[in-house]
Amino acid sequence: MINFLFSRLLSALVVIFGVSCLVFFLIHLVPGDPVEVMLGESSQPADREALRAALGLDQPIWVQLLNYFNGLLHLDLGESLHSKRPIVELLMERIPATATLAAAGLLVAVVIAFPLGIMAAMKKDTAWDSGAMFFSLFGISIPNFWMGPLLILFFSLWLGWLPVSGQSGIASLVLPALTLGTALAAILARMIRATLLEVMSEDYMRTARAKGLSERAIIINHGLKNAMLPVITLLGLQLGALLGGAMITEIVFSWPGIGQLTIDAINRRDYPVVQACILLISLTYVVVNTLTDLVYAWMDPRIRLGEGQ
Amino acid sequence: MQRLTGKRFFALILLLPLSLLLLVSCAAPDNGALRFGLSKMPVTLDPRFATDATSSRINRLLYQRLVDFDVASMPTPSLASWQKITPLHYRFTLVPERAPFSSGELLTSADVKATYAFILDAANASPHRLSLARTIERIETRGDEVIEFFLKEADLLFPGRLGIGILPKQLIESGHAFNRAPVGSGAYQLDAWPDDTHLRLKRRSDDLLLEFVEVTDPTVRVLKLMRGEIDMMQNDLPPELIRYLQQEPGVKISRGAGSNFAYLGFNMEDEFTGKYQIRQAIAHALDRDSIIKYVLGESARPANALLPPDHWAGVPGLHQISYDPGAARALLKPLGYSRDTPLHLTYKTSSDPFRLRLATVMQQQLAEVGIKVELKSYDWGTFYGDIKAGRFQMYSLMWVGIKLPDIFRYVFHSTAIPPEGANRGRFVDAETDRLIETAESATSIETQAQLYQQLQGHLLQQLPFVPLWYEDHVFIARDHVAGYTIARDGNYDGLLNVSKQ
Repeated sequence: MINFLFSRLLSALVVIFGVSCLVFFLIHLVPGDPVEVMLGESSQPADREALRAALGLDQPIWVQLLNYFNGLLHLDLGESLHSKRPIVELLMERIPATATLAAAGLLVAVVIAFPLGIMAAMKKDTAWDSGAMFFSLFGISIPNFWMGPLLILFFSLWLGWLPVSGQSGIASLVLPALTLGTALAAILARMIRATLLEVMSEDYMRTARAKGLSERAIIINHGLKNAMLPVITLLGLQLGALLGGAMITEIVFSWPGIGQLTIDAINRRDYPVVQACILLISLTYVVVNTLTDLVYAWMDPRIRLGEGQ
Repeated sequence: MQRLTGKRFFALILLLPLSLLLLVSCAAPDNGALRFGLSKMPVTLDPRFATDATSSRINRLLYQRLVDFDVASMPTPSLASWQKITPLHYRFTLVPERAPFSSGELLTSADVKATYAFILDAANASPHRLSLARTIERIETRGDEVIEFFLKEADLLFPGRLGIGILPKQLIESGHAFNRAPVGSGAYQLDAWPDDTHLRLKRRSDDLLLEFVEVTDPTVRVLKLMRGEIDMMQNDLPPELIRYLQQEPGVKISRGAGSNFAYLGFNMEDEFTGKYQIRQAIAHALDRDSIIKYVLGESARPANALLPPDHWAGVPGLHQISYDPGAARALLKPLGYSRDTPLHLTYKTSSDPFRLRLATVMQQQLAEVGIKVELKSYDWGTFYGDIKAGRFQMYSLMWVGIKLPDIFRYVFHSTAIPPEGANRGRFVDAETDRLIETAESATSIETQAQLYQQLQGHLLQQLPFVPLWYEDHVFIARDHVAGYTIARDGNYDGLLNVSKQ
């Protein structure tokens, strides 16, 4: 297990280094000049050159890359071109909102998906199954930018139960979490149904039934546990996406998270902020996927043994 | 398991709304503030660096300026009155009844000098430096009330350039972060900026709280207004949402003529749009009145020039380009283009859905006369970058908040091709240059106005762009909001007198 852990962490570090380099070079390829963004269209060439030198943008690209890594190692991501605020401060303000929304969205998804997926698998080819799969199709098909306003219309305007948008107490978390969670629940429910159906035809399930165990015990103790591996992979990937900033949901609900910060920065050509956001999103994916791999290995010893051989 | 999926499942479904009801009680408490919905929050509350419209508008509430503008965009005293001692020497005297800074200190001439000295220092990279550095040679103070500006060259428009909010000298010198912690002498002061989607100001005269709330999506902004989560908003709504709100009880809508100028720009170096007949055909093919009536919901007035007719240098009687598809076809025919053999052009626009809709309407109108337009929509940064680099045939944009007629040099002079200015169409015309230079060297405002009016007539003949319309400002509020007046340039000065009934 230690060898496995070490190899996963090492590969995560390599990926993070690669992503950092890629982000740095990609941002330099994007059309537009940060100096012009800062000084405006009408600035004088002399002023532009002076600022370029002050920002270190007149140095060779490899020197800039070294400076960038030096900053990363010291957790100094620079400052926003527009608001002049330290980027670390901007990110620290936004991360809690995104993390809260991601956790709530995941919770909604799990709460909906597990009963739905299990029920659909247990009552295969019945009205319950069709109903669950219809909900699933509904959840996958409706985009968040449509689902969000629909929920607002129903719960906020017609029923008057919940705030329309913004981050003002726990009540304001419900609708964005439902919007995010419904789509994820739909995918999860289908995955749980499919893997459970596959597992239920295995020999050990027949053995469990032959032992006289109740259907509930068979499903929960034997079926669900073995069906969890692909579900965990999916959850890991989706959690990475949620933590990276559910951009559309954040915009619809004016949720002050990383997604909204990224979109604002892109629109304003605030390159250092864009760079930091992309790096953070990439890091989140790497960390979540590494953790998923570790959970995977913990649940299925064949994986870590295979790695060790 | 049967019981779980049956009764318990339904019980769970019933419990969900009850849980939601409980959550309602967890909503944030109402602080009694008047809430103003914005599509974008201000980027910075430091007027020395603010360039976006929202920052500039909110900074007007927080800081006072030496000079302001009247309805005809003529400079008027604000914090100071002025005397032109010589063409190269202006004396500004601070008004005695001025408000102190929100920190309690009196605003003096030293603060004015420190603010402008900071902007003029190239090391500080202020985007406002250029227009001031070209003119100002030095600044001197006489006591606490008088500031003397000495110019490098005569500039009739000079007072109009002093519209930047004044900051306290002491805090400038200590490197205070005005961008997040503004200290000005305006009618409002910062109360709290808890996150990037909420900004709360307090009116200094009566402690009224005003909260700006960012709601990017226009539909959600409307829903928030209907539910009373925001009390008012201004602009940035598509006409169909405004029409929808007109039928809503408890909501009132007021409109005011605006000066924001929409135009269709051409690349004069392009082999097609560089031809005068083609530009003329396009101008005749566009039915602006119908677009204003049906697409803009009559929230605009047709434009014939960059400056509106009520500007002191505007041209009230300028002839309008007529909608005449027949004339457009007649102009294209000798060039070999018709509906069967159309001219192919590209039209670049931003990814804003409403701008894209307008472009689609124009695409249809141009197709009627034999011009097949390919629309290319990009995110703002890429679109703007392409326009500045001259990578376009046609594009549409808007000039916002134009006050001084020196915009003509910036936009049409042959030396103002980007990166030197905003002559994005690469328009080079000796007569235009001559008129701009003559107007700039005029010795009286009256002569200058006449020359700029002549210039606008000339530009309408040359058609480096097709003037489209001036968009109105639309203010929407709940019934309990009173006292707001709409400004010509769309600023939020109406909030100075707004109240909750």
